[in-house]
Amino acid sequence: MSQTPKNNSLQIPLSKREHKPLQVNPIKHSQPMGAALAYMGVKNCLPLMHGSQGCASYTKVFFTRHYNEPIALYNTSVSDITAVLDGGDYSILMAIENITKKNTTLKPELIGLCTTGLTETKGDDVRNIAAHIEIPYCYVNTPDYEGGMESGWALTAKALIEQHTQETIRLSPNKLLLLPHVSMQPIEVEKVKELCESFGFETFALPDLSTALDGYLSEGQGKLSTGAISIEEIKELGDSATVITIGTSMLIVAKAMLKKNPNITHLHFDHVMGQQNNDNFVATLMKIRQIEPMAHIKRWRGRLQDAMLDTHFLIGSSHFVITGEPDMCVGLCELLQSVGGTVDAVIATTYSAVLEKICVQNLFVGDLEDAMPYFENTDLVISNFHAERLLHSSKRDIALILRGFPNYEELGNQLKNDQLYEGSTQFLFEVANKLREDKHHG
Amino acid sequence: MVNRAKIKELMNESACSHSKDKKKGEGCDMPKPGMAAGGCAFDGAQISLFPYADAVHLVHGPQTCLGASWETRETLSSYKGRDHTSMGFTTGITTNDVIFGGDKRLSDSIDYIVEHYTPEAIFVYSTCVTAMVGDDIDMTCKLSAQKYSIPIVPVHAPGFVGGKNLGSRIAGEAVLEHLIGTKEPEFTTPYDINLIGDYNVTGDMWQYLPLFEKIGIRVLSSLSGDGRVGEIRTAHRAKLNVIVCAKSLITLCRKMEETYGIPWVSVSFYGKRDTSFAILEIVNALGDEALIQKAKEVIAEEEAKLEAKLFPYKKLFAGKKAVLNTGGNKAWSIASGLQDLGIEVVATSIRKSTAEDIEKAREYLGESGVLMKAPASEQAKVIDQFGAHILLAGGRSLYTAIKKKISFIDVNQEKKVSYGGYEGLLNLAQDLKCAFANPVFANVSKKAPWDIQS
Repeated sequence: MSQTPKNNSLQIPLSKREHKPLQVNPIKHSQPMGAALAYMGVKNCLPLMHGSQGCASYTKVFFTRHYNEPIALYNTSVSDITAVLDGGDYSILMAIENITKKNTTLKPELIGLCTTGLTETKGDDVRNIAAHIEIPYCYVNTPDYEGGMESGWALTAKALIEQHTQETIRLSPNKLLLLPHVSMQPIEVEKVKELCESFGFETFALPDLSTALDGYLSEGQGKLSTGAISIEEIKELGDSATVITIGTSMLIVAKAMLKKNPNITHLHFDHVMGQQNNDNFVATLMKIRQIEPMAHIKRWRGRLQDAMLDTHFLIGSSHFVITGEPDMCVGLCELLQSVGGTVDAVIATTYSAVLEKICVQNLFVGDLEDAMPYFENTDLVISNFHAERLLHSSKRDIALILRGFPNYEELGNQLKNDQLYEGSTQFLFEVANKLREDKHHG
Repeated sequence: MVNRAKIKELMNESACSHSKDKKKGEGCDMPKPGMAAGGCAFDGAQISLFPYADAVHLVHGPQTCLGASWETRETLSSYKGRDHTSMGFTTGITTNDVIFGGDKRLSDSIDYIVEHYTPEAIFVYSTCVTAMVGDDIDMTCKLSAQKYSIPIVPVHAPGFVGGKNLGSRIAGEAVLEHLIGTKEPEFTTPYDINLIGDYNVTGDMWQYLPLFEKIGIRVLSSLSGDGRVGEIRTAHRAKLNVIVCAKSLITLCRKMEETYGIPWVSVSFYGKRDTSFAILEIVNALGDEALIQKAKEVIAEEEAKLEAKLFPYKKLFAGKKAVLNTGGNKAWSIASGLQDLGIEVVATSIRKSTAEDIEKAREYLGESGVLMKAPASEQAKVIDQFGAHILLAGGRSLYTAIKKKISFIDVNQEKKVSYGGYEGLLNLAQDLKCAFANPVFANVSKKAPWDIQS
């Protein structure tokens, strides 16, 4: 099988600049959507999108279908008139008043505001709202003509720390702050937290989706966010002795933490998939705590190794194409490569420095139109929902594993774990079994 | 560009039931900050036009507008060529375009699309940002249309001008201005109609189109379910406009009546009674005796066939009571379908309904029926009061059903099968049967061991 598709003689380089004037079948998602999701990872937050009503409505439908859960998200419904005459104060304050007046049982502990392309174009100054309301307030500038979902999520975590975490030079040696990238699903955040906790850390995650959108049956859903970290806890994060970023997009958040407390120790991992990265991760935790990991963690490492050997025949003789957010792509790619998989192409949603670390022949920022020629010549595609119909129209049987946003049709997305020794094990088996289905019985 | 006079005119539509009780010039409501939950004008415009599978739909704006909306609606198409409705095209503007203007990018994008996809037409949607920075979309479209000799239609419905409904009206205006009357049909018949406002979601139209064929009604064009741009261009030669469950396109129909003398009727194809009624409305409006006679025969035949198929279900559903909590015309159209199946609808929501919808809901539910203004807080009480057996609502209400230990159907979720026409009623019946029989609701309502007090 050839590695470069014949009908795509012009290779697209990895670049911050676009290679065509438009996107056809896009995979990129906007910054305000990442911001809204980040606010959902805070407890009793009222996520408020400052833009026309459509921005929030689309975002709501998007996440409702991905998680199959009601989504708490409000908007300031900027109109053509307020767009010109209002600097933001009126529509934001009116929105907060209208929402809280209409539902008096609603007791938000934080108003989480993100801007959109519209309000950034007119240049609303959203900083001063806090002076007019009693509820704690956080704002983040997220025009949707810049960056993407990954950056919107990271910018929001950064804003929460910059605007709310108190400065200190004190350290609580046991306290650990985890900063997970946007593509980590609720259960994945929980699993990584649990690992840290098993080493005796008092662990916080920001944003923390482990109790939001995690597919949990309860009453009165979708009015306020149900994330696992409260604004009070965010205020007190400054004394976290250890700050761990997972995903390059989150480095800016760690930087903001260091400004709050220069004494903290920041540790970075591009991802926590596959044996090597998890060995590094566990070794780091062992070094800080000077203890051995719990027995079940050691056991999972052995299972991962066994899975790597069990799956290497199938994966090692197969070709892959991956699309998605950069921080997700790098983990998936390295895990497959660690068992001999040939990744023909990685097509990322936006540019990120971490992409430079990926060793594949075809690596660029693009859309599914760009990806299609590579899909046609591979064995298994890892992409989002939109790839499904495209692959149906293909003449060959090409296996597909859905990862990343959106996954509109499959159920239980929030409980799929690809992280750590355990998740990596399950992921390798899923890939191998998918290959078996399509390669030998297709 | 966005035209305030036009928006004002559309908001004050004289034929719209919103405007009936209002002072002159007041018209439909503008969205209030914090209170608007539905889609924006762009959303409405895109929904109205997107089913044209032979056209490319290019969204000129930043990432959210298309990125979160493409491939979200099950609008089916029988188009044999490349189906553009399952694709997404956006200029995805960046900071540079906001500062220097996005006209060049738009024009390059149109070039790219024509070169790679050769569509029959291109719809170009403006969005908040590109409207705000003042891109001259009209001129770009005009020049490109001249260059390529295909219709390139600018649709000026940026999100901030209002809600979904207004956007849909604006889409109608764009079609009227740029497409209708620009081509002659190959032939006409005295029974030519335009279908307006059915988007063929889950193939709704295909449930009733075979009946039209049997009767002899010909669909000249559709706006826009399973539609073709080439056909809508000939719409001015139809004898009748048929609006299907879409009040937003009344303006278009009124204007077509004024300009081309085409009368219009408004119908729904949900449930047996509505479907039969709709067919009779259409043939009566066309006014041909033979056609009316044929329609009556077809209706009698189809109803008899349906009744036979429904018999086992009706036996199963006898004595069952339902509470319905959904918005807009679904508040009465699904109620009508349920009643056709022999289920008593004890309450329905009128939270998001127009005056006309409320009237209809009252008519279907009768005097004893409860019209819920605040269904979120009322529905639990109503379930207790009437001893209802099933709740049909959006996902947020699932917990209410579990707590009350009754069956549940999510009516707001994207459906996979159509509930439209006679056959659709069978789909609804099947879904209901499954919901009633499923023990999951009772099982899930059981208490956890740690919540049981011994």
